[in-house]
Amino acid sequence: MKQEFTIEILSDNNFSVLNRIINVLNRRRIRIKRLMAHENEDDFRKGGAIILVHTTPDLIEKIKHQLEKLIEVDRVNYFSGSEHNITLSERLVDID
Amino acid sequence: MDALLTKTKPETKQLQKISGSETLLRCLVAEGVDILFGYPGGAIMPVYDALYGYKDQLNHILVRHEQGAIHAAQGYARATGKTGIALATSGPGASNLVTGLADALIDSTPVVCITGQVAEHLLGTDAFQEMDVINTTLPVTKWNVQITEASSIPSLVAKAFFIARSGRPGPVLIDITKNAQFEMIDEFEYEKCESVRTYSPKPTPDHSAIEAAADLINNAKKPYILVGQGVQLSGAEKEFLAFVEKSGIPVASTLLGLSTLPTNHPLYVGFLGMHGNYGSNVQTNSCDVLIAIGMRFDDRVTGNVSKYAKQAKVVHIELDKAEINKIIKADVAVHADAKEALKALLPLIRENKHEEWHRRFAENNRVEHEKVIQFDYYPLSEALKMGEVIRELGELTKGEAIIVTDVGQHQMVTSRYYPFRKTRSNITSGGAGTMGFALPAALGAALAVPSRQVIAVIGDGGFQMTLQELGTIMQYQIPVKIIVLNNNFLGMVRQWQQLFFEKRYSFTEMSNPNFVALAQAYSIPAKKVSSRKDLRSYLSEMLNTTGPYFLEVVVEKEENVFPMVPTGASVAEVLLEPETKK
Repeated sequence: MKQEFTIEILSDNNFSVLNRIINVLNRRRIRIKRLMAHENEDDFRKGGAIILVHTTPDLIEKIKHQLEKLIEVDRVNYFSGSEHNITLSERLVDID
Repeated sequence: MDALLTKTKPETKQLQKISGSETLLRCLVAEGVDILFGYPGGAIMPVYDALYGYKDQLNHILVRHEQGAIHAAQGYARATGKTGIALATSGPGASNLVTGLADALIDSTPVVCITGQVAEHLLGTDAFQEMDVINTTLPVTKWNVQITEASSIPSLVAKAFFIARSGRPGPVLIDITKNAQFEMIDEFEYEKCESVRTYSPKPTPDHSAIEAAADLINNAKKPYILVGQGVQLSGAEKEFLAFVEKSGIPVASTLLGLSTLPTNHPLYVGFLGMHGNYGSNVQTNSCDVLIAIGMRFDDRVTGNVSKYAKQAKVVHIELDKAEINKIIKADVAVHADAKEALKALLPLIRENKHEEWHRRFAENNRVEHEKVIQFDYYPLSEALKMGEVIRELGELTKGEAIIVTDVGQHQMVTSRYYPFRKTRSNITSGGAGTMGFALPAALGAALAVPSRQVIAVIGDGGFQMTLQELGTIMQYQIPVKIIVLNNNFLGMVRQWQQLFFEKRYSFTEMSNPNFVALAQAYSIPAKKVSSRKDLRSYLSEMLNTTGPYFLEVVVEKEENVFPMVPTGASVAEVLLEPETKK
């Protein structure tokens, strides 16, 4: 059963890292409902993304490992629903 | 490090300014690179100019197409375990690497590709031979990076080599803009990369998982080991042998796992998958504990996943965490390098023989021999069959050659029948199924390991995809023995058309050139054999010839490869012959 998940990704802030992340989701044909990418305000070499997706619990677990496999990705967490997405996104907006 | 620097250039030159191109070459020397496979062009010319001065340290092999360069680099890597290097120019030069990158990624082959790129100020302007190589190769590389300034070359090359060879190996591409190749830097310093902040290539085995695995294995009545390439990649052949011999568990191999265990080892029960052995497929669905080591449950191995080993507890030892639970749910997952895991597991394993369980495989083997193998080895038909060619080849080489196969029927027959005796003897395109792989991969392997006989076994279709590399073989007199099994068909597709598309042979029959004359045009000694009485002597002549040799073997036109697990069937429903199909 598909549902909403919020994926939180911490990564290096390289030119292609966002493309790599999106590529993992596209390859699995996972629908992206919302996406926010950011540079770490303390260290521009680090960054991350918060993505709201629509997929199954089974697939989100597999996606987590595939995202963590990307060389520049440091950590991936996911949460059920969009609540975390809003909280995390608001936190980023506040920072900006 | 100091020794390397001293070796690469005289001390007096240490303080001289050097170009980005020369910096790159010094990095390669520092990484222990001895052979490069490449093809020059506009955007990589500064590197080629620098190479002119490094001829004594870096042996550049001029291939005839960039796809040949990367497959040759793959062959080099697979034969040695070292990182293979391919060099290409921008635009089409780089995009010609894409198939090889995809192949290397899925088959875990450490390759570093270096591509030239237009100058930084021209990026994104549709300049001549400009292409977005980073985004083009992003899905088919383990990592890639664009370098726009010479000072970044040492650290990023070091990172590229570390990523390519560590963890689950894979291809890395470095795209260097032309301005960075020309740019002069004050001094050369190189430090090998040993870690990357966001990347953990070698997880420590979780001891509780090891204990749980040992517990399942020790209490199993019908345990079964599936070995993949991961054991060879981690150099764990010795540990694997000790584990297998102590536990007495039957071992079957994936396509890329072949040659990990000698095929005449009493515990080896066969080849897995769509055209694997009968027993090794059938017993997957009757074992009680399935121990998968360094393999990823490819769909060619599992058949219908919903009917795969449902009765068994699954122990999955795997370095790539994304492969664990991806296809088959593991009851015990050991996320570790095969060598580390097997070392930890060995003392916890009880000695066993599992004689009754082995008898089942022996019985299956007897049936397969009676129904399939004996007719492949000693056909009743007048026409030569692929199986007898491989049997003869195996006998003549005593199973000690490096065998490089392409993709298709000949690949499956060779995998089934070549009696591998040594590790790293099987080089083939597994996951990607890249026709055209074998000829360039074989030349790479032959240059990498000159002490071993390298034999490319190729179909007539695949051979014509990269036959331009005969020119490379000719130029460098690379001692590859080339066997083309010619049935004038794209045989595997034809087999499927026969079995599943009512024999509608839609565009699979081929009119072929005079292959012998073609090879001779490249000054490669060549012969054609079509009769059984000549087969052995022609093969012997090929093997006894110094340097390259081409042998065309005309085989039965409509031979089918069996056993076969049809699409959608379970491994237990493997067919021994077409008439048993429901």
